[in-house]
Amino acid sequence: MIQMHNVFMSYQPESSALADINLKIPKGDFVFLTGQSGAGKSTLLKLVYADLIPTRGQVLIDGVNLTRLSRSQIPQLRRSIGVVFQDYKLLPNRTVLENVAITLEVLGWGKRDIGKKVFHILKRMGLEDKVNATPLRLSGGEQQRVALARALVNDPKILVADEPTGNLDDENKEAILQIFKEANNRGTTVVVATHDRRVIENSHRTVIRLDKGRIVEVPNVQG
Amino acid sequence: MSKANKGAVRPKLEQEGFFGRLSYFFSRAVANLRQNVFVSAVTVGTIALALLIASLFLLVYVNLDGMAQGWSDKVQVTAYFDQEPAPLAVAALKGRVQALPGTAKVIFVSQAEAEKRLRSRLKGQESLLEGITQEVLPASFEIRLDREHRDNESVAAYVRKLKQIQGISEVQYGEEWVQRFNSFMNLFRLMGGLLGAFLTITVLFIVSNTIKLTIYARKEELELLGLVGATRFFIKAPFLIEGVLQGAAGAVISLLALLACYYTFLKNAGDFLGINPASAGLSFLPATHLAGVVAGGILLGFIGSATSLKRFINV
Repeated sequence: MIQMHNVFMSYQPESSALADINLKIPKGDFVFLTGQSGAGKSTLLKLVYADLIPTRGQVLIDGVNLTRLSRSQIPQLRRSIGVVFQDYKLLPNRTVLENVAITLEVLGWGKRDIGKKVFHILKRMGLEDKVNATPLRLSGGEQQRVALARALVNDPKILVADEPTGNLDDENKEAILQIFKEANNRGTTVVVATHDRRVIENSHRTVIRLDKGRIVEVPNVQG
Repeated sequence: MSKANKGAVRPKLEQEGFFGRLSYFFSRAVANLRQNVFVSAVTVGTIALALLIASLFLLVYVNLDGMAQGWSDKVQVTAYFDQEPAPLAVAALKGRVQALPGTAKVIFVSQAEAEKRLRSRLKGQESLLEGITQEVLPASFEIRLDREHRDNESVAAYVRKLKQIQGISEVQYGEEWVQRFNSFMNLFRLMGGLLGAFLTITVLFIVSNTIKLTIYARKEELELLGLVGATRFFIKAPFLIEGVLQGAAGAVISLLALLACYYTFLKNAGDFLGINPASAGLSFLPATHLAGVVAGGILLGFIGSATSLKRFINV
């Protein structure tokens, strides 16, 4: 479960990126986070995987208070959270297989198991023939799917995605959303930040709307 | 919601254990070198060039120092006796001189020996020796000092002690030459030390900055590893191994280049420059120095990587 209590976040003293955020996202839920550019969506997601520590307030993941985590405890938390970054963050010098394998290498998996698991997920993403390609040779949709494969390969407890459908055509958007749904069906809590209204309208999922760093509309989830 | 989610739990831990992890980090480092060929080549090239300059300096310094040490063999003390001591007394006196700290070798020159030497030196001008008998020439000890006792103060202190031995009337040791020679040696070592220190700082600066730039070029990789849950050690280890490999490769290349320079230009430079006509040119670096250069390269790569990584790892 993801919980935030009275969370404030400021990058600079005079302006706040997030103000008085209170929310509870139950385990296994699928939530959209929406709002204009600069509303604080990415900042909120970064708080979930401890890339940022709030200026004030508490962030709890499964009851663990992230503001009290030591630096050495953060890696452990991140291993249970899959993140799809807005800019994908694929390593250009590594192959698709190596990019996805990173998540499992960090966990200490053996080479053979990594190979099997990565190939399996790439097949699920329709990328089995791109295993040895480097990201720069892939289309935007394919790169997005590689980023998704990397986030999902270890079946994380939470999946966080920042504008995952931003630059994709309708067909690719649908494919990506389908992958999110499947992950959610397997028990992963999914939080997707997007400003794409059509994606939200068709999904019939919980929506958290942010405006200038504050939550303005949270049907069913605000605790 | 209640579905089991065990994905984050590892099914197998093949990579765990010291050797398993080490082999993973090593293969990762080698793969990184392969995938970043250009950047790695720049780093290795910079280390090689920097170490080549440093080891060229070392080669010249070691040779000049060796040569200067050879000159210091000329520092010799001669102690003259009032009267030639009896053979038994010679042995006793020799023992006393040898017991003085700093004595390397003592040779007794009797009056007869002194005359013989003089005659052989003045061969062809025997008329000059008319009327000279061996009684005129005093017997003496020719004393060679060990290397640590050839500086001004040590020689002076040695001579003071020598004069206290009964029967020795006069001591000569070319005071002025010793002083001049030692001033030259001090200046030479000071200049060598300064130049060496300057060169070391320059090498450190250039290499650490090159490594910093190459790591900066891969800062996204460092960031990503942190975001997928890698520990600091997990992120750093392959980079440090890369640094060590690059340092070792740079050092080996620099020594090969030095060897090439040596055989092409330097081997006969001694004769050419007339520095030391007695020797057959400059000699190559001794094995301990070669090992030192390789160790220096490895250390450079390791420390350069370690300090640069500090800046870019946020985990």
